[in-house]
Amino acid sequence: MAMRSQVYEWDGSRGTITLTSANSLGKSLSIFIGGVGNNITMPASTTATQFVVIEEIAATPTYFGLNTVNTTTTVRGLVGAGTNAYYGPLAYAQIVINTTEYFQDPDNVSNYGVAGAASPYPRSVNFQPSFSLHPTVYVLPGQTWDVRYTTFSDFGVALAGKNQCFTKYTLYDGPDSLIANKLLEMGITVNPGNVDWYKRSLLSAASAPAPTNGA
Amino acid sequence: MAMRSQVYEWTNLAPTSTGSNIRQSSNPQAVSIDANKALDIFIGGKGTNITQPASTTATQFVVIEDIAASPQSGGALNVRINTTDYFQNPDVTQQAGVPGLASPYPRGTTSDGATQALTSGDNVLPSFTLTPEVYVLPGQTWSVLYTCTTAIVGGAALAGNVAAFVKYTLYDGPDSLIANKLLEMGITVNPSNVDWYKRSLLEQQSRAMATPNGGA
Repeated sequence: MAMRSQVYEWDGSRGTITLTSANSLGKSLSIFIGGVGNNITMPASTTATQFVVIEEIAATPTYFGLNTVNTTTTVRGLVGAGTNAYYGPLAYAQIVINTTEYFQDPDNVSNYGVAGAASPYPRSVNFQPSFSLHPTVYVLPGQTWDVRYTTFSDFGVALAGKNQCFTKYTLYDGPDSLIANKLLEMGITVNPGNVDWYKRSLLSAASAPAPTNGA
Repeated sequence: MAMRSQVYEWTNLAPTSTGSNIRQSSNPQAVSIDANKALDIFIGGKGTNITQPASTTATQFVVIEDIAASPQSGGALNVRINTTDYFQNPDVTQQAGVPGLASPYPRGTTSDGATQALTSGDNVLPSFTLTPEVYVLPGQTWSVLYTCTTAIVGGAALAGNVAAFVKYTLYDGPDSLIANKLLEMGITVNPSNVDWYKRSLLEQQSRAMATPNGGA
């Protein structure tokens, strides 16, 4: 199990402390150790023999509409005020490696990350992704990483499934982590296919007949 | 992190029904948008904005890969590099750009922005992909312009919301130099080709080291 596909789902309505306007609105919350929703015991990090490739992040989407009838408070499963025409949490998901935020605005200032409308979770016919994380994000051995969720609308904030965040990553451990580092040095994309290719090329080199002079 | 996938989302949302805010604000209100008037989604002064015009430094190279907008109200997006608009009419006159109906944001949204029902409404899917991509060379300024054919009403009640989205890759430092080199060679600038160029440099270097006199 040296190369494993991993997922993590966060929901603001789970855990001992759930999402409220006071603890969430406009605040960048760690989905791992933010103290709200379901959390894990310690910050996400890699050991000296681990290499993580983050392949996807997604959050609850938002629907932007024209409010022709202002009594509607739910559209396509998303909750809104009924007075404004956006429905859903106006949510964003940002990746942080050590202390560096990955997504920036064009003015080179860090932003809140990928909008849920661009990378929705869950995906549905009504909400499909406009964004894929390519190139993928590498977490090198010894680094700490995080995914931060920020919401700007508190309608339906406490309801299950109305504020969710999802991340998909691959964990390379042990020898596969060393190969991942080697691929990185060689400028080759780290993915399971290329790790397998590198192993095969090592094996073919080892099984190749030795030169006749033994040099 | 010399090659990064980046996104920008613009919404006509601000703390009050007029003006703008640097990035998103809490429980915002819709800002009115005039019809048939191109609005810079970065610094246009309406909705979510950034602090300064989007531009590249001498060591940055940007590749714009996708633009999308809300389909309702005849929304459309155009890319402007320095003072040149990318999308033009066949007679080389100005146009609004890619319609939101061709490149919707979010994908799967309704074409008319109707909010009356839970399940009714259509699902608009993209008819357009930005291929070839748009390059913003080092030192250039760029913007994305939103135009709607029907005015968007702002305020707290009976307001309308629209959004726009830009996906681009930022090449910084050495990767920006490689991107320029690929451009000179006529090769598409994308993460795979930048990696390929790095690999070929490394192969050249190791071949040179393998030769008896170091390749000299």
